[in-house]
Amino acid sequence: MNSLLLLGAALLGSVMPSLVAQETSGSKSSDAKTADAKKDEAKKADPEPKWFAVVGGDVHTGTGGLLRGATVLAKDGVIESVGYSTDLPEGTEVLSARGLQVYPGLVAISASLAVSQGSRFLAEDDLHMRCCVDFGKNGHLHEGPLDAELDLLLADQAGLVDAQSDLRDAYDPFSSSLLMTLAVGITSAEQSGGALKLKRGEIDGVVMRERFLSSFTWTSASSGKTQLREKFAAAARYLREKREWDVRKDKVKDLPEPSKKGIEQKILSVLDGSARAKFNANDRDDLLGIARLAQEFGFRPVIEGCVEGWIVAEELGRAGAYAIVYPRQRRDKDENLVRAGGSSIENAAILHAHGVQVAIGPASNGIDLGGITGRDLLHLTVDADFAVRGGMTDAAALAGITTVPARILGIDHRVGTLEKGKDCDVIVTDGDVLHYETLVQYTVVAGKIAYDKQKELLFAHIRPRTPGDGKTSNSSGDSAPASAESQPPQR
Amino acid sequence: MITPFLLATLWVADGPPAGAPGGPPLALDCAKALVCAHRGAQVVDRARVVVRDGRIEAVGARQELAAPAGAVVEDLGALWLVPGFIDLHSHIGGDFGINDMVYQANPELRVSTAVVPENANLRRALAAGVTTILFIPGSGTNCGGQGILLKTAGATFDEMLVREPGSLKIAQADNPARWGYGMGRGMMNWTIREFCSRGRAYARAWAEFESGTGPQPERDLMFDVFRDLYAGRTQVSTHTQVYQVVYNTLRILRQELGLPTYIDHGEFDAFLLGELARELDVAGILGPRSISSQVKSRGVDHDGKIIGLAAGWQEHGLVEIGFNTDAPVVPAEELPLQAAMGVHYGFDDARLQALRGLTIVPARTAGIDDRVGSIEAGKDADLLAVRGDPVDPRTGIERAWVGGRVVHVSTQGGRTW
Repeated sequence: MNSLLLLGAALLGSVMPSLVAQETSGSKSSDAKTADAKKDEAKKADPEPKWFAVVGGDVHTGTGGLLRGATVLAKDGVIESVGYSTDLPEGTEVLSARGLQVYPGLVAISASLAVSQGSRFLAEDDLHMRCCVDFGKNGHLHEGPLDAELDLLLADQAGLVDAQSDLRDAYDPFSSSLLMTLAVGITSAEQSGGALKLKRGEIDGVVMRERFLSSFTWTSASSGKTQLREKFAAAARYLREKREWDVRKDKVKDLPEPSKKGIEQKILSVLDGSARAKFNANDRDDLLGIARLAQEFGFRPVIEGCVEGWIVAEELGRAGAYAIVYPRQRRDKDENLVRAGGSSIENAAILHAHGVQVAIGPASNGIDLGGITGRDLLHLTVDADFAVRGGMTDAAALAGITTVPARILGIDHRVGTLEKGKDCDVIVTDGDVLHYETLVQYTVVAGKIAYDKQKELLFAHIRPRTPGDGKTSNSSGDSAPASAESQPPQR
Repeated sequence: MITPFLLATLWVADGPPAGAPGGPPLALDCAKALVCAHRGAQVVDRARVVVRDGRIEAVGARQELAAPAGAVVEDLGALWLVPGFIDLHSHIGGDFGINDMVYQANPELRVSTAVVPENANLRRALAAGVTTILFIPGSGTNCGGQGILLKTAGATFDEMLVREPGSLKIAQADNPARWGYGMGRGMMNWTIREFCSRGRAYARAWAEFESGTGPQPERDLMFDVFRDLYAGRTQVSTHTQVYQVVYNTLRILRQELGLPTYIDHGEFDAFLLGELARELDVAGILGPRSISSQVKSRGVDHDGKIIGLAAGWQEHGLVEIGFNTDAPVVPAEELPLQAAMGVHYGFDDARLQALRGLTIVPARTAGIDDRVGSIEAGKDADLLAVRGDPVDPRTGIERAWVGGRVVHVSTQGGRTW
C-alpha cells in the first residue's frame, strides 16, 4: 500500500511543475487547462518509464563487488545501472541510502506458505499458548484461535500443494505475514516448488516461476532405489529414442514414434532441464546414492537437509549437487558405526569448500510471533550466521540466502545480485546484513519501496533512524539535470 | 594460536596440566580480555590472565603483569578471553525425571538425583561456552522442588557441583494450573503464600534455636530448604511472566515473604514492572522468549509493535538483566543467541550488557559471583577464547577452560558447535 502511495506521489510529482506554473502566472485560460489534461491523457496512453534510484549507500552487489557510496538506478523495476556518476532522469524517485548498506533482496527457500497466506501463530511452548493474529487469506483479523480454524487452514494448505493450483490465486498481497517477511529483507520466496516475488499491494508479476522444483522421494530400501533408477533409465531411453525419431522421421516413412507409456513426465522434465529434482535426504548412504543417480543420468540434484553431507562432500561436489542446509540441524552420530556421522555445524562450510552450491534455510520455515526468536523465517540471516560459525565466509553465507537459492529456483537471471538487467529487489540496512544488531530500513521490490521501517509499527521504535538518513525525494525537471550525488570514496 | 601438537604435549606431560589444580601456573596472553567485572573497567587490552590451581590468580595488562615463576606462558595471539556463560534456566543437566507432580507444592524434591554428567546436551552447551547452569525442576506444580547449580564440565557429580540447593523453583501461573482441575491464579497464589509462610515459620524456629532463644524444632524435610533461603544461601527462581503475575511475584514473594528471588522468564508485558523490580532488588533472567507481540487472549497489546523484552525491561528501569534458554525449549548452545536477539530487538549494549547478561548478571543473581561470572582474581578459571564479539552467532568458541582445565578445543575433531 505504501508503495502505491509513493507511486501516486511520483505521478503527482511529474505533474507538479505545470501546476506551479499556473499559480505564478496568476490566471490561465481554460484552454491551457484542457491542453494540460490532454497531455496527461497522452501520458496515460503511452506511459513514461518509471525511474527509481537508491543513492549514496554502500552497495554490496553480490557479484563480489562492494561499491561505497554508489547508485542503483532502475527503470520500470529493472536495474539499469549500478555504479557512480549516474545521471538520474527527470522524475526519478530517489531513495537516499547515505550511511546505509545496500544488498540484493534475500531469497527464502523452503519458505512454506506462511508468507503469502498470512500465518498461524501457534506457539508450541511450555504455556501451550495459542495466539493467532492473522489468517491473512481474507485479510481478517481473527480474535481467539479455534482448532477448527487451524485445521481448516492446514487443509487449505494441503489442498494448494496437492492440487498444484495457481500460486497467483493464493497470493494475498495485504497479508501481515508478507509485511513481516519484507521487513526482514526477504523479497523472493519459494512456494510449492515455484518462486514468488513478494510484491506488496499488487498481484501482477508475483509468480516468477511455477513448479520448477520437483520433489522426489528417496527411500533407503534397496527395492525403492532400484525402482527409481529404472524409471530414470526408462525416461533417458525414451529421450534418446525420441531424439533419434525426431531426426529420422522425415527420412523413414511410417517410423513409429517411441511410446511414452510408463514414462514419468516428472523425470522427463528433470532430464530435459525444465525442472529440477529435489530430494530430502540426510544419511551418508542416501546422499551417495543420489549423487550416483545424478551423475549417471546427468542432472544436478537439489538435496534438502543433507545433514551428513560433510562426510561425502567431495562426491556431492562432483555430482554438481545443490544443497539446502539448515545449519543448526542436530543429529547425534549413530554410535554403532565406526565411520563419521551425525550433524556438524561445519556442514555448510565443508560442502561449499567442495563445490556444492549451498543454500541456507531457516531453522523453522514459518513465521512465529509467539516470542521465541532467532529460528524462524524472520531470522534467516541468523542461520547464515551459524553457517559462518561453522567456517563459511560471510560472502558465501550471504550467497546462501541470495544467489544460490535463486539458482536452485531457476530465477537467478532475475534476482539474487544487483546487476544491470536484474529486478530491482534491494534492501537497505543500517549495518552488515549478517550482524545481529542490523535492522532492515527499506525493502524495495521491483523498483518500489515495499517496506520503510519508520513508517510501519513493527520496528519503528527500535533504534529509530536519525532524520536525514535515508529519505525519498523526486528529482525535479525544473532544476539542472539531476545527477546522483554519489561519488567514489576518497582515498 | 596453539597448535594441536603443542596441546597434546601439554596434556601428556606428567602431572596435572598447567592451570589445573596441582599443576604449574598458567599465564594466558590474549589480545583482549572482556572481564565483565560488576564494577569498573570491562576491557583489558593486551591482557594476561594468570591461572593457578584452577583459579584466576591475577588479571592485567601484559606489560604490567609478570608471569609467576614456573608458569607456562601461552600466547593466544589475536584471540580474546571472556568469562564462561551462565544459564539460570536449564533442564538438560541430566534425565527428565524433574517434574514429579506429587503435591501442589513440592519444595522437598531435588533434581540433583537426575544429574547425568557429560551427557550429549551438556557437551554441546560446553562447546558453545556455557560453563555453568542452573538445572531446575519443571513447572507442573506451584513448586517443583530444588534446582542445582552445576558446571557443564566434569566427569562426576562432585566435579560438576557448584551449589545445592541451586534454587527453589516456584511457578506461579499457567503451567502449574495443570496439576488440578479448575485451578486458577487465585488458588495458586494462595498455595504459594501458604507453603512459603509455613516455610518461613520453620526457618525462624530453627534460627531461634540456633541463637539459643528457642527449643529445637522437629526436622521437616519438606521445609528444610527455607532455612537456606532465609539465610541467603539460595534463592527462589520464579517462573513468572505477564504483568499481573510478575506483579504478584514481587508483592507476595519479595515484599510479603521477604524471600530472595528473581524473575525467571519475565515475558509478555511484564517489563512494565521494571522500576518496581529494581527498587526491590529483583533481577530479571529473560527467556526463552525474547519478543512480545499482540496476544489477545492475555490482553497483551503493544499497538502493533514488536517489543524486545530485554529492551522493554531496560527502558522501564531494570538494570540487572540476564538471559536464559529454558533448554531444551531453546537449545542450551544457543544461550548467547538469546542475548544477541535481545540486542537485535532494541536492548542497549553500549557497556557490554549483552555479554554481562550471560556472565556477571546471572552470577550475581544466583549468588555465585564469588566463583564465576567474571575474569577477576580469586574466581574459578572458567574462560572462553574467541575470535571476536562472543555474542555474535558467527563467533565460535575456540577453546574453553573450566576450573583451569581445557575442556573444549574447536580444532580437535571438528567444531562441534
